[in-house]
Amino acid sequence: MPSAASSPSRKWASRLFLSDYFVLYLSLAYVAILAPFLPTLLNPANISNVLSNLWPLLVVATGQTFILATAGIDLSQGAVIAVTSVIGAMLIAVTGNAAVLSNAPIWGVFIGEQGGILAGSIGGIAVAIAIMMLVAILIGLLNGVSVAVFGMPAFMVTLVTMIVIGAVAIYLSLSENISNLPDAFVTLGKGDLVSVYFGAQDESKIPRKIIYSFVTYPMVIAVAVAVAAHYLLNRTVFGRQVVAVGSNKRNAEVSGIPVRRVIVAVFVISAVCAAIGSILYSARLEAGRPTLGAGTFLLDVIGATVIGGTSLFGGKAKIIWTFFGVLFFVLLSNTLNLMNLSAFQVDMVKGAVILAAALLDVLRTRLTRELT
Amino acid sequence: MRSLTSTVTASLIALGGIVAGTSANAATICFAFQDLETEFWVAGHKAITTTLADQGHTVLERNANEDANKQLEQIKDCIAQGVDGIIVIPQDGESAVTIVKEAQSADVPIAVFNRPPTDTSKGIVVVADNKTIAEQAVDYIVEEALAKAPADKTLNAIIIVGDLGDPNAVGRKDGFYAAIDKHKDRFNVVEVASKWDAATALANLEAAVTANPEVDLLFTSSDFLFPTIRSVFEPRGLWKKPGEDGHVMMAGLDGDKTACQLIKDGYVDATGVQDLYFEADASLKAILAAIDGGEAQPNEVVQDPGFALTQANLGTDEMKMWGCVLLAGK
Amino acid sequence: MGDLLAFEGLSKSWFGVPAVSDLTLAMRENSLLGVIGQNGAGKSTLMNMIGGIVEPTSGRMRWKGADYEPKSAADASEAGIAFIHQELNLFTNLTVAENLYIDGFPRKFGMIDWATINERTRHILGRLALDVEPSVNVGHLSPGERQLVEIARALHNEAELVIFDEPTTSLTPRETERLFETIATLRGEGRSIVYISHILSDVKKLSDDVAVLRDGKLVDQGPASDFSIARMIRSMIGRDLGGQFPERSNTPTTSAILSARSLSQPGVLQDVSIAVNRGEILGLFGLMGAGRSELARVIFGLDPHETGEIEIDGKPLAGGPRERIAAGLAFVTEDRRAEGLMLEAPIAENLALVSIDRFGKKPFMLVDRERVAEETEAMKDNLSIKAGNIARQPAKALSGGNQQKVVIGKWQMQSPKLFILDEPTRGVDVGAKYEIYTLIDRIAATGGGILMISSELEELLGMADRIVVMNRGEVVGEVGRDEFDRETILSMAFREVIA
Repeated sequence: MPSAASSPSRKWASRLFLSDYFVLYLSLAYVAILAPFLPTLLNPANISNVLSNLWPLLVVATGQTFILATAGIDLSQGAVIAVTSVIGAMLIAVTGNAAVLSNAPIWGVFIGEQGGILAGSIGGIAVAIAIMMLVAILIGLLNGVSVAVFGMPAFMVTLVTMIVIGAVAIYLSLSENISNLPDAFVTLGKGDLVSVYFGAQDESKIPRKIIYSFVTYPMVIAVAVAVAAHYLLNRTVFGRQVVAVGSNKRNAEVSGIPVRRVIVAVFVISAVCAAIGSILYSARLEAGRPTLGAGTFLLDVIGATVIGGTSLFGGKAKIIWTFFGVLFFVLLSNTLNLMNLSAFQVDMVKGAVILAAALLDVLRTRLTRELT
Repeated sequence: MRSLTSTVTASLIALGGIVAGTSANAATICFAFQDLETEFWVAGHKAITTTLADQGHTVLERNANEDANKQLEQIKDCIAQGVDGIIVIPQDGESAVTIVKEAQSADVPIAVFNRPPTDTSKGIVVVADNKTIAEQAVDYIVEEALAKAPADKTLNAIIIVGDLGDPNAVGRKDGFYAAIDKHKDRFNVVEVASKWDAATALANLEAAVTANPEVDLLFTSSDFLFPTIRSVFEPRGLWKKPGEDGHVMMAGLDGDKTACQLIKDGYVDATGVQDLYFEADASLKAILAAIDGGEAQPNEVVQDPGFALTQANLGTDEMKMWGCVLLAGK
Repeated sequence: MGDLLAFEGLSKSWFGVPAVSDLTLAMRENSLLGVIGQNGAGKSTLMNMIGGIVEPTSGRMRWKGADYEPKSAADASEAGIAFIHQELNLFTNLTVAENLYIDGFPRKFGMIDWATINERTRHILGRLALDVEPSVNVGHLSPGERQLVEIARALHNEAELVIFDEPTTSLTPRETERLFETIATLRGEGRSIVYISHILSDVKKLSDDVAVLRDGKLVDQGPASDFSIARMIRSMIGRDLGGQFPERSNTPTTSAILSARSLSQPGVLQDVSIAVNRGEILGLFGLMGAGRSELARVIFGLDPHETGEIEIDGKPLAGGPRERIAAGLAFVTEDRRAEGLMLEAPIAENLALVSIDRFGKKPFMLVDRERVAEETEAMKDNLSIKAGNIARQPAKALSGGNQQKVVIGKWQMQSPKLFILDEPTRGVDVGAKYEIYTLIDRIAATGGGILMISSELEELLGMADRIVVMNRGEVVGEVGRDEFDRETILSMAFREVIA
């Protein structure tokens, strides 16, 4: 094959193009280009917003990255978010609203007028979170075993889980939201650790006191999850096995990789990440919501992961890519909002960007081939 | 951090200058709605946006596509953009509470349009008084029915109730009984559950009409069920114009396009109307008043008493009903 | 007779690196031109230029005296040039007739005229002596039959020049014979042929003229009668090769590493017993479908067996590949791309795959990347894998021979006791073959046992200490090195098939 590109500028360009940080550079360039036209973009309030939207999505996309690394797909993450949201909320809600919930099957069993059965008890929130994780692990096992042991296609298995678990989430509370969550839980979704006071803002008619949160509980949680996932996927023996299964499953089998165990494990990881995301989403909306993770949420998760550079064909995945992908995706949504486009236009642009990312993946693959 | 703070503050002041330079009285209002899935919301959306634009205000529209989380993010984006006030049609009562809290803690006045938060004590809450509206509509058909019937006859009345988990449905049902109870001894009431679902309504109404073939009066908790009612009534000779034999006195609630057409044709006698234009106007007035008054956390509940469009006032009040405006616009 | 196809100063380079340079060559009408060269010599690029898939950088091609500038595969087909590829281009879910007529179905009254299609298909299949119904799905045919279908498609398109690219790689000896008869038939009809192959004896036997490519240049050409195998090899690799096989450097012991007794699996294996000794290369020969690869897969735990036992070093083997690898087994499968490599992944990652557990540092099993780098680099040097930066270069960028070394290397990292090598030199060019043979000899010399499966009897005769012959799932004979004889072994392998 022909070797490295001839001219230095070409070489430089392809190095940039193939860099792990390519999507980060892309995000920075995007911000640099748009900043003069969208003055709000670099406003601290907006940066604080972008960050607060980034963290929960990052956690969920991190789980999806493991699945994509094995050339699988997990469509059930949204449903896991919904069902764990309802389960967590019904256990710890401070009070229950009889008018809304009295017909629901959980009424009187897990939640009543005095709130959820774990409400007010010491460590109740921790126990509820443990139960949410347990439910996620069970769903992950169900997915993983169906795919790995029974050899069913991941797309089909998780599509069915998505429908069934989504329906369970709606059934539990008969589609009602469970509000009145304890403050300690809500703090996990939006509590600040470090905020910055920017003085009074006089841009709007009513002067506001401007305190923006930058270091928040969701940030700490998401960064912890992402860092742990980064080490797990890119530095451990298990991570190598995940990538090996995604690169070439038959080769992995012949080479003595415990393929089934790896596949089951990634589905469990994906579901657990979804459940952690569920804590963040439920807490910021201050309610257990059976409709969380519905609609175009899956597009956001898979789209962000793929934009980062993780391949849908497996064997190529890094958490740092996913981080940059999520960053770019959240920036994209944010800037489209700032441009005052309609929801339809926003979705069209998002779709186009994901398509471009898929195309970019093909181009990068081709470029790697030419350079080696 | 101090230097960052001061640079950022400086640039904000500069920006503020640019933004403020547009027009003295004009405000920037963020209008966030959950979706435009029915005519009602489309009409409401149009009423708010056109009024704001006509008065020279800037409107930032945000459509959340029925996703509460997305709506929360959109509201935060609006706040970051430095809007002067927010009008929101929330996805549901629970997320509305969170959103109001978010806006108020950022010192941005917010009004919730038509779909009330579960906690109505915070924010400007503009809400239709379902009970009063229903009562007005049912009053009209009750009086008409009694006037035509022999004095000693007990009349059969049907009410199609909505999903009773929805406070709107409860209010409408209460309004119906408030009107009926004024002549308690003259009516025999059958309740038909719909769960806000056309198929459920169809099955239950079929059963009810088969059991009680003589129907004198019907109230549906929402206008969207009229086509369903027609499909049950027509084969049984109950879908007739006034004056024809077998005409059932019918009333609905909402005031949509179909209802307007049916009232004009005479099949339906009255419908309770959420006065969309009143609600839009009230939201705008309240939010603009808060902005002018420098009030960052205005809390107020504005009840929309609505009105009933009936065969009697059709000539004068037609264009007050949003469904008829849509119908005429076509 | 004039020239059918001619190249004049034809060149193609990729980013300044020439793949074919200044090639001038002419092919006579109704002749058979054999084209040989090592992998990467430029054969594929040349064929892609003829086929309209790649555009030349400079120079020109002439077809029947006129300028020939194909822009697409359809142009080549239009001109009357057909390709029979290594990987066949058939739709396995369609029937034979549909595959022939896929470019355009004849119609009658607006409907597809199946009667005519089937009749004409039957006629063409008859000319090739292929006895299958036009309505059979191509997926049901053997590789040899599929190839004939592909040739039938060329006949259907009235191709004047048929280009065969490694046509015999997946054929049994009988199917190969049949292919050669078909080629003779094609020539009898006045068609010309380009025949590309690594099997030099076939090229010599079939060709009128031979052209040898090396590094994109035409280095030797002439009538086939002037070419000996030795001259072909010399021209291809640019030097004398000496013997085709290295001397065996050790004598095997008699203590068994692997012993399998009475293995049976209905329809696959029947009462197979086999033993491999320390330091021994045991050759396993048989026709396609004789159960050679199946036996290997059973021993390695990839496929099940009903009765019989397998021992390594006297200890019974159980479980799947993972457990058996831990017990000291290694398996280089016949399908390198599908089962041996992560093509997109860097070479180092491929090398470290099997032994990855070993590099995990407790408690979190973090991979010791420095040690991986050291050991893979050492393995690369040890096996003289020709690669640049093994931490970045993907496996697919390597030539077939170097890829195979990577596959052997990833097992070597684990220091296995017994190597199962299934077709270890398939798709490997002549120069690299010798290196792989040397490697195999070295493993045996250091006390390892080797079970070597091959369809090329020559290489077993050259390398093995002992050859076991299989036929229809049974062991039908065993020959020691002193008694090696082509005829004996072949007759064992063909026995029942012929009868």
